Amino acid sequence: METILSVENISKSFGKIKAVNQLSFEVGKGHVFGILGPNGSGKTTTLSMLLGLIPPDHGVFRWFGQPPSNESRKRIGSVIESPNFFPYLDAVTNLKIVADTKNKPYDDIDEVLMLAGLHERRFSKFRTFSFGMRQRLALASALLGKPEVMILDEPTNGLDPQGIAQIRELISLVASRGTTILLASHLLDEVQKICNHVLVLQKGVMLFCGQVQEVLSVSDSIEMAAADMSGLTEAIKEIPGYTSFTETGGIIQVHFTTVVNPSDINAFLHQKGIILSHLSEKKRSLEQHFLELLHENP
Amino acid sequence: MKRLLSIEYKKIRTYKVFWILAGLYFVFLAAGVLLAEFMINHMVNDINSRLPIPFPHVALYYFPDVWQNVAFFASIRYVLIFPAIILIILITNEFTFKTIRQNIINGMSKTEFLVSKLMIILLMALVTTVILAAGAFFIGLVHSGFSEVTFFSRGLPFMTGFFLSLLCYLVYAFFCGFMLRNTGMAIAIFTLYSLIIEPVIYFLFRAPFMFKNIIYTYLPVNSVIRLTEYPAIPMLKKLMGLELQASVSFTACLIPLGYAAIMIGIVFWVMKKKDL
Repeated sequence: METILSVENISKSFGKIKAVNQLSFEVGKGHVFGILGPNGSGKTTTLSMLLGLIPPDHGVFRWFGQPPSNESRKRIGSVIESPNFFPYLDAVTNLKIVADTKNKPYDDIDEVLMLAGLHERRFSKFRTFSFGMRQRLALASALLGKPEVMILDEPTNGLDPQGIAQIRELISLVASRGTTILLASHLLDEVQKICNHVLVLQKGVMLFCGQVQEVLSVSDSIEMAAADMSGLTEAIKEIPGYTSFTETGGIIQVHFTTVVNPSDINAFLHQKGIILSHLSEKKRSLEQHFLELLHENP
Repeated sequence: MKRLLSIEYKKIRTYKVFWILAGLYFVFLAAGVLLAEFMINHMVNDINSRLPIPFPHVALYYFPDVWQNVAFFASIRYVLIFPAIILIILITNEFTFKTIRQNIINGMSKTEFLVSKLMIILLMALVTTVILAAGAFFIGLVHSGFSEVTFFSRGLPFMTGFFLSLLCYLVYAFFCGFMLRNTGMAIAIFTLYSLIIEPVIYFLFRAPFMFKNIIYTYLPVNSVIRLTEYPAIPMLKKLMGLELQASVSFTACLIPLGYAAIMIGIVFWVMKKKDL
């Protein structure tokens, strides 16, 4: 795996508050990496340090294997907190300023505006844009110059369901082209839908770092066993929401993308003529942990 | 360099506030310079009405005195503060709109950002000086005629003096903008200091001489304004037994340039240290 970003023990305090505490992680090429945590858990502070806005108190990080520099930032497209543009300039001029800053040509301005669905409004002043359009323009500016990495901080915050869907679609599209994405969010659902790797942060401390499917699938997984194992493994594939199974010691653990009810499964399999000898529901500890964490810090 | 200037140009090109204020500045500048003679003679008339022997009227716009007079009236604090306020707005806008953050995120260095603002200062001072010099030349021509045109003896030193005045004063505004980061705050404090606090300090610590004053020379804003000490009115000076200022003194320039250098240093240092 080619490492895009490596972070070693970075910390940042604001007065007595430890915003980020001894954080270490790595992001590989092509990963869609989520930083998940409630508001105030240090997500934005972490991203601000990685983008050179705030110097860390301790620790180091490397972009593309190099110490951070202006040149490395030119290879990254970012949306941090709010979209920052000149209100009195139109979309195209604002994007030209971004392109100049990054030393990139103007060729793909039309393309990114099209992607963000703002092409018709490209000569309107930023001031006249709705909240959703501002967010999409920010995304368009991050896409300029085909960055190798995109950093998105709460990209769907405050948008209506349609806007959220549009942004997520756009992110998935960019990810499918092989762009590495670093996304901060307080929404479990969002991270689960978009990311393949996740880091869970609480009060500046890392709780977990790993693959999303390992830890954050919303579904419960269910353990099953039957006398006719081959029939069972065939039959479960027809259950709606089925994703995969693992077999250990004569018991299979089946994963689903949706929440399933064990009695429904039992009935379904019974219809297929399979009699279960074992059926038990497995709760995911980290997911529970995260939900509790969100509950403690509304 | 070209890239930075192109970025700055895009920020200004369609910014109405900038062009309206710049237009107003040149209106005030022209009015200040052109009404000076009328105002002074109005005062002279007023005094003369109570004196048995009348003072002669002043004439400000003849070569070679026109260079010094235009430089003097263009650098009175009420006019000079205009371009400074424009610059403060351009700088603090970057903090208000958070575009400075965006510039850094997108790979501009803090040094590049500061240098681009310093280039704006240089351009503002240069353009204003060229316009002022052209205006002074034109006024002189209207009053004196072609045969009396001069530039190198008095025009060059006093126009260079005005350029340095404006340059240093804009650097003070640059300092104020980057330190305070908030448009209203920066304009209020800069105006308050330039127009009220410093004149008050001057009057409080005024030496008991009529014209030479040590405080005058060393206060930041006064040191800028007094590069051209007085308007050139030969007759009045003769009456009062004073010598005319022949040229802008090099040592007098060192004081505002010193302040400007220190302020630029502080801004660079603080911007390196502070969070954005």
